[in-house]
Amino acid sequence: MEIELTRRAETVNELLARYGVKFGIYKDNEFKEQLFPFDTIPRIIKKEEFAYLEKGLKQRVMALNCFIRDIYGEKKIVRDGVVPEEFVYISSGYLAPCDGVVPPKGIYTHIAGIDLVQGKDGSWYVLEDNLRVPSGASYPMIAREICRKSSPDTFETYHVEDNRDYAKLLRWTMDYVNTGGHTVILTPGRYNAAYFEHSYFAEKTGAHLATGRELVVEDDYLYFVDYSGKREKVGAVYRRISDEYLDPMTFNEESVIGIPHIYDVYRKGHVALLNAPGNGVADDKGIYYFVPKMVRYYLGEEPVLQNAPTYLPYYEEDMRYVLEHFDELVLKDVAEAGGYGVVFADRMTAAQKEDFIALLKREPRRFIAQEVIDFMDIDILENARRTPRKADLRAFVLMVDEPIVWKSGLTRFSRDPDSFIVNSSQGGGFKDTWVLSQ
Amino acid sequence: MGIISVENLDRLFWLGRYSERVYTSARLFADSFDRMIDMDMDNYAAFCRQLDIPNIYSSREDFCNRYISDENDPNSIYSNLMRAYDNAIVLRNEIGSEPITYIQLSVYDMKKSRVSRAPLVGLQKVEDNILAFWGIVDDMIENENIRNVIKIGKRIERLDLYGRLQMNRESIVREVHRLAGRIARTNLHYDEKNLKELKKLAEEDQIDYDRVVALADTLRKD
Repeated sequence: MEIELTRRAETVNELLARYGVKFGIYKDNEFKEQLFPFDTIPRIIKKEEFAYLEKGLKQRVMALNCFIRDIYGEKKIVRDGVVPEEFVYISSGYLAPCDGVVPPKGIYTHIAGIDLVQGKDGSWYVLEDNLRVPSGASYPMIAREICRKSSPDTFETYHVEDNRDYAKLLRWTMDYVNTGGHTVILTPGRYNAAYFEHSYFAEKTGAHLATGRELVVEDDYLYFVDYSGKREKVGAVYRRISDEYLDPMTFNEESVIGIPHIYDVYRKGHVALLNAPGNGVADDKGIYYFVPKMVRYYLGEEPVLQNAPTYLPYYEEDMRYVLEHFDELVLKDVAEAGGYGVVFADRMTAAQKEDFIALLKREPRRFIAQEVIDFMDIDILENARRTPRKADLRAFVLMVDEPIVWKSGLTRFSRDPDSFIVNSSQGGGFKDTWVLSQ
Repeated sequence: MGIISVENLDRLFWLGRYSERVYTSARLFADSFDRMIDMDMDNYAAFCRQLDIPNIYSSREDFCNRYISDENDPNSIYSNLMRAYDNAIVLRNEIGSEPITYIQLSVYDMKKSRVSRAPLVGLQKVEDNILAFWGIVDDMIENENIRNVIKIGKRIERLDLYGRLQMNRESIVREVHRLAGRIARTNLHYDEKNLKELKKLAEEDQIDYDRVVALADTLRKD
């Protein structure tokens, strides 16, 4: 049955433009704002299917949180040989200053964005864990608001979980670890790709949106400075800037968007930072391989969700497999993100293959190889006609006393029929994700 | 929001100023454009003189195109609108998404009027959006200080423009009174001596327009 909403695509897109639902992109060193293309055909997840995903996602994020606590604490998983130390300590996401620092309530992964794809047989696979500053929840949230406005009949007909509670969940997540004081969303500023999201979350959660220039550290506490010079204590910072730029005194000394000494305040337990600095050690593409092992190790359970079949050329046996099946694999540079550093071996020329294999042999730790999953295509409307495209799902898991899985998610699709790359920075669009309530 | 940084206080003020500049200059342009259709083709020179902007335009057509929409002309309506937009877009936390939509809509309408042979139709929509923006500022922004700072920006800009245009005495007097009545209700730093002098000037039979402009522009202290 055709969903009535799809006949309102023009209205929906007009309203999205009106509300400035955009993302920023740098092209030829110039900042440009672009509307994020939206497709009105939703991804629909049935109640029982979501219950399965929910169980798996909670389990996965719990295990990842245990892993980070362990790595910056006792390091048992390394000592027990489950994860080789080479994969931990040379990861660019591992930050030595975080060693021995325990965040408020022991939570590291406050907001996790887990990227999944669904195979043609209906099985779900985790492609990536994003535990630093995963973005994207604002888009389906505002899209839902606009879709409900544009086609109320649709939501009368279908019983869809209301995803507009994300702001409430996010506020709860921030308040849960707040050490006493205001709650702030820290943005690098207007020219960040996700600035719309930062400002939208601030508005919807009632937190203060601030740049590094508006926050100061004094006497081991963090303060927001108002126009009259008055200082207001800050107890939680949902920072939307990368670890390395957070504090020039501890991390990258050239950072001009961070706050000097904020990490000292955090270390003393006087402010909560969401997500915790140092989380990058767990969402490294190399570490991803070990997540099912983490689930077994920390939780004593079998993983509910599976990884895409992955090989680590670092292991001799895996290297052999990769070389033998090279053309069937996708290779990913562990240091890259946003859809960059991803190469499909069957699309390389003979010379490129030769060069790549030489590089792989020289730097086996730098790459992972994965089987190309035959994604289940999802229809989009193109020139008012349904046409299939590759799509993924970013599910959001927020951590309070236990993990909460947001009953929605960001479905991203490739607009190029020949591409698997769904990232907005590379031309992808998005859809709302409906979780049916009955 | 309860706490406002010094940067955002400044942006609120300039949002008020630029939104007023767009609105008033669009209205003035409309008057001038009408005259240029079939009465006074070179009226744009007088327009530039009145507004004290450099007459860099080579013809009526050049003026009509560039003054409306040239992003490289700092005095164009488009440039001023983009300055309003640049301030608004970083104030979502202070003013909310709804008011910003009217500035956003103005940008879209302005872009449409760029290619039109009847630019006043698009500009009318821009004016409507700015009026709606001010209406929603009044209606939806709960924080009185935020409302007042935007309005002070608007009042100062209007007084500045009216002074430059040597508007009638009643208009100047009205704007001085509106400004004086509101500025004390904000947390902006302002020069009380300048305000006193402005009020005095408004009592004179002959308005000293240059002085009005100078005082309006220096009223707010950073």
